[in-house]
Amino acid sequence: MSYKVTEEGNISTVHLDGEIDMDVTENAKEVIMPLIEAKKEVHLNLKEVQYMDSSGISVLIESHQKATELGTKVILKEISKSVLKVIMMAKLEQILNLD
Amino acid sequence: MNSSLAQISEKKDFQVNSASLKDVRSFSRDVFDKLQLDQDLKDELVLAIAEAAQNIVKHAYKDDKDTSDKMEIKISLKDNELEIGFFDKGRAVDQNNVRHRKIDDIKPGGLGTFFIQQIMDAVVFKEGEKPWINHLVLTKKI
Repeated sequence: MSYKVTEEGNISTVHLDGEIDMDVTENAKEVIMPLIEAKKEVHLNLKEVQYMDSSGISVLIESHQKATELGTKVILKEISKSVLKVIMMAKLEQILNLD
Repeated sequence: MNSSLAQISEKKDFQVNSASLKDVRSFSRDVFDKLQLDQDLKDELVLAIAEAAQNIVKHAYKDDKDTSDKMEIKISLKDNELEIGFFDKGRAVDQNNVRHRKIDDIKPGGLGTFFIQQIMDAVVFKEGEKPWINHLVLTKKI
């Protein structure tokens, strides 16, 4: 997995790239969580994520819940087909903010 | 599916750690490419296999993160039934503890087993024959 973060006002966009599994979830959290804790609105661009498993889904849930707790939000952008399928399999399409 | 490959049986050993999961996926994709499975089905099966392998790393070796053990994954197809076997030497699995979280109880974790059950027709834990401790069998008609 690789990533790039761009900032615009109070919005931080994290562009994730590659495969998100148990091996990289700590890296992903280390990128995303500080942005949420800084009360940024975080956009996760998932266009280039070709694979995500339950560990990756856990990162999305944890990020969403932390953001809600801190009064901000995480929005999932340009979700790839394969990731959307896993989100739907987990029945999270009504829970997470999908754009 | 490629009818000329109506039968296949391939197995491979993997180091028990999270870094091996990408190799598990790669092996699985290679086997399913040979079978010319539909992309959606292939993606689902690869996810189920990777989740089961992840469970071995996370649970069977929960107290032995630096193990040098290997796990074996065997993918077989016969009479349109896909059988995927997982063999490991970790802590014996107590089937009573293998359950996914309630799907409407939204919290991180506990989804891997749910995905496996959604994708596969059957999930059976067997006692492994020596030298293995655990033998998980996932099956699906394709």
